[in-house]
Amino acid sequence: MNNLISRAKELLESKTVNVVIGYEAGPTGLARPAFITDSAKADKLIYDERCVQNLAVYLTKAEVKNFGKMAIVARLPVMRSIMMLISEQQVIGDNLIILGISEDNSLLDIASISVMQGYIDKCDLGNPSKDREILAELNKMTPEEKFSWWQNQFSKCIKCYACRQACPMCYCIRCTVEVNQPQWIPVQANAHGNTEWHILRAMHLAGRCISCGECGRACPVGIPCHLLTMQLADQVWNYFHVHAGTSDKMNSVLSTYEPNDKESFII
Amino acid sequence: MARIGVFVCHCGENISATVDCGKVAETIGKLKHVVLSTEYKYMCSDPGQTLIKEAIKEHNLTGVVVSACSPRMHEPTFRKACAEGGLNPYLCEMANLREHCSWVHEKNELTTEKAIDIVRTQVEKVKLNSALQPIKVPVTKTAMVIGGGIAGIQAALDIANTGHKVVMIERSPSIGGHMSQLSETFPTLDCSQCILTPRMVEVAQHPNITLYTYAEVESVEGFIGNFTVKVRKKAKSLDEKLCTGCGLCTTKCPQKKIPNEFEQGMGMRPAIYIPFPQAVPNRPVIDREHCTYYIKGKCKICEIVCPTKAIRFDQPDEIIELQIGAIVAATGFDIKHADFFPEYGYGRYKDIIDGLQFERLASASGPTSGVIKRPSDGQIPKNIVFIACAGSRDPAKGIAYCSKICCMYTAKHAMLYKHKVHEGKAHVFYMDIRSGGKNYDEFVRRAIEEDHVNYIRGRVSTIYERNGKLIVKGVDTLLSSMPVEIEADMVVLATAGVANSGAEELAQKLHISYDSHKFFAEAHPKLKPVETNTAGIFLAGACQNPKDIPDSVSQASGSAVKVAALFSQNELTREPLVAVVNRMGPPLHSTCVGCFLCQAVCPYQAIEREDIKTRDGKVLKSLAKINEGLCQGCGTCVALCRSKSIDLHGYSNNQVYAEVVALLNEY
Ligand SMILES: Cc1cc2nc3c(=O)[nH]c(=O)nc-3n(C[C@H](O)[C@H](O)[C@H](O)COP(=O)(O)OP(=O)(O)OC[C@H]3O[C@@H](n4cnc5c(N)ncnc54)[C@H](O)[C@@H]3O)c2cc1C
Ligand code: SF4
Ligand code: SF4
Ligand code: SF4
Ligand code: SF4
Repeated sequence: MNNLISRAKELLESKTVNVVIGYEAGPTGLARPAFITDSAKADKLIYDERCVQNLAVYLTKAEVKNFGKMAIVARLPVMRSIMMLISEQQVIGDNLIILGISEDNSLLDIASISVMQGYIDKCDLGNPSKDREILAELNKMTPEEKFSWWQNQFSKCIKCYACRQACPMCYCIRCTVEVNQPQWIPVQANAHGNTEWHILRAMHLAGRCISCGECGRACPVGIPCHLLTMQLADQVWNYFHVHAGTSDKMNSVLSTYEPNDKESFII
Repeated sequence: MARIGVFVCHCGENISATVDCGKVAETIGKLKHVVLSTEYKYMCSDPGQTLIKEAIKEHNLTGVVVSACSPRMHEPTFRKACAEGGLNPYLCEMANLREHCSWVHEKNELTTEKAIDIVRTQVEKVKLNSALQPIKVPVTKTAMVIGGGIAGIQAALDIANTGHKVVMIERSPSIGGHMSQLSETFPTLDCSQCILTPRMVEVAQHPNITLYTYAEVESVEGFIGNFTVKVRKKAKSLDEKLCTGCGLCTTKCPQKKIPNEFEQGMGMRPAIYIPFPQAVPNRPVIDREHCTYYIKGKCKICEIVCPTKAIRFDQPDEIIELQIGAIVAATGFDIKHADFFPEYGYGRYKDIIDGLQFERLASASGPTSGVIKRPSDGQIPKNIVFIACAGSRDPAKGIAYCSKICCMYTAKHAMLYKHKVHEGKAHVFYMDIRSGGKNYDEFVRRAIEEDHVNYIRGRVSTIYERNGKLIVKGVDTLLSSMPVEIEADMVVLATAGVANSGAEELAQKLHISYDSHKFFAEAHPKLKPVETNTAGIFLAGACQNPKDIPDSVSQASGSAVKVAALFSQNELTREPLVAVVNRMGPPLHSTCVGCFLCQAVCPYQAIEREDIKTRDGKVLKSLAKINEGLCQGCGTCVALCRSKSIDLHGYSNNQVYAEVVALLNEY
């Protein structure tokens, strides 16, 4: 932690960056995002198990972009999000300094995007183990059982779109749900529309979800919607052998085609 | 307020036999905004079209739905009729009651109900149609001919003679193709070189033709009238302007034992070589793979002897970019060689040769100066066997098709042999004799009757060597499959004609289709034999399937006319059914977020990047922009864009949504 604070101070004092995006302790003791622009305030930065939010979501916000050069505290999921955002041309790698945090919470020396890529390549890129277990259970169900399990989950959805707001890859300035010419997804929360929304969101993240779990964590009514996108991440790996967020080059499986792509999913 | 007119067609009885057209018209007439709903026996006929034109004026229609056949059949007809009636043609839609309904169902109520549903979707759609204007794109009046065989030569000359510029790309050091290797040609037995060489020279000298030999197409982008082609000019290691073609270098090169491609491996050539004496251009190239200097780093004898100092060892490949309006693919064919046939010894026996090798033996300028000598010991064969259909029409070998030229050239070969070796015996094993063509059957009869070639109907099962003879074992199926054994001195296989090497790669670069044998595919086997399914790209010669010279030349002239017709226009009009990225005022400018995933997905490379800038040049936003000239309106990007920032003119999200909703709703 001390390493992180001194590095943040150094970056701000030397004006290498204008802001450090990290975590601080909130009034109830929970971690919350912090935007440090003054080196004197860098002491507030924390880094421990409480710091779960995927900070990459802020990188595409206009208010944050206005800072110009910035540093960001980044564990593996944040690093992968950054890779995705660079590959989708939402973030300019040169404007970013990565304050990488390893699995055992120590500060990594990540001098460039290619170093970050090297680090990502060495990590386990599958879904988190607890989610893997739940998915395995779900996958044992028959399609009908699974459908009614999810219907039950979706019935709780209040269409607050917190899942969308929390996801770094949901950076659209106008999301499909806000399109009303035509109105693809009904505005009100109802059984049918809720299902449509969750299917749509999952499809928009197929091959792009980097398995941070943030969407599920953000949901105020406890819908594990991250399991949908994680299941797709698994399938994308099985079919195409691609993990999202491993390259700063465009490698979105759903918009590229290789002659040797498997086509076994076409029925 | 929308005022829609609906015209239900009986299509004679094609539709009315199973669909109650009267009921369809009546039901549709009750829908909101439909001010006229009527039926007629033939909407596409003159009176039918007049009906539409007059109704547009009389009822002040804002949209028309013609409920008839497939839009592929008559959409242009009815759009034109609407335009003549004073309505923007894109405010006319077709409901397909024939292919989608009457032809595939039996006569009953459900069929009529389905017809009503189909019309309803189009009524809802047409209400949301907008008036569109056709897109105009300029035409670059320069053609590219790829391949300099006889087909390419003919196409290039014909196009050039209409006054348009032509660029010819030939990958080998000289143009001429396979015809330059032939000795004499059926059915007239005129000398191939004598009729070809003047054409080759004409290409080189034609003021409208630019010739690039030793060059290949690197990439093709763009669309009809507006292709951008990158061409790789392989380094010849020569300054072509300085070289006079004296050929001194080729005589001094120490490498002398490189199999000569032009002689089909039956002669040798040096590393710096002119492929054959009549080559166009008549300039050498250095084959870097075999040149001592490139292998060992020393030699440069050619550089020393060259009187004009034209050799350039450090010359790099050059990439040139050309703007092209139309392309003729004329890359020809190749043949299978003896090594393809296990039953004939996999090419182990020197005296089993293929047809092209025989052409070289029979050619006055060939390695034996036209004397038929067998490769093993240079003896003149006294007993020679020709085997037709070697590989062709043999599904077990993966070649089910007939190579078309072999029957004829085999007759020619046997005849040439008999003319040169009077006392010799020539036998031909054949399956059927296919000699359709002007004076073709007469030609074969001559071989049999006047030159006494022994035709045996049957296949050869095996050939092996015994005491310096080739034992050819087959059957004569006209004599109840009696076994036949011939002791031959030489065997000539009329091997299957196959697609040229690199055909598949080129087809992919050109985005044209090809068949399972890698021959290029025509757009329609009967009615569009020279077009491909990519507009602006045409076919000539044996790249489409094995063909003889008359067929290759006719097709080449056919494609030249297509090119000339295209170049007779200054502008092409395109259907405005293209995708657009939405635009709005600042600060959003567009809902496009500039992820450019659509750019990767577009099969026509139609999506570009656009930067919206402030007056002083600061980039406010980067977003996708669709090139109207390139977009084919496939809609792939529309489906991909998550934020629904792209829409397709004529098939907007709103329109398609309205169609679906119409089907879900009661009426
Ligand atoms: C043994 C034999 C005997 C024959 N005898 C007769 C006969 O007597 N009478 C008759 O009418 N027909 C005869 N034919 C048929 C005749 O050879 C063909 O009809 C004719 O050669 C077809 O011409 P083409 O221009 O289509 O193809 P080709 O002659 O094959 O020419 C194709 C040209 O394209 C070039 N090329 C290939 N790929 C590329 C590329 N990717 N980029 C650039 N250039 C490329 C090649 O180098 C070549 O120069 C005979 C054929 C054979 C095999
Ligand atoms: S887990 Fe959820 S929040 Fe994280 S990347 Fe995937 S969809 Fe987005
Ligand atoms: S759900 Fe889809 S459209 Fe909405 S913000 Fe996410 S990616 Fe964009
Ligand atoms: S149009 Fe859609 S897919 Fe294309 S760049 Fe814009 S947001 Fe991305
Ligand atoms: S509609 Fe098809 S061709 Fe046109 S830009 Fe979109 S993907 Fe490309």
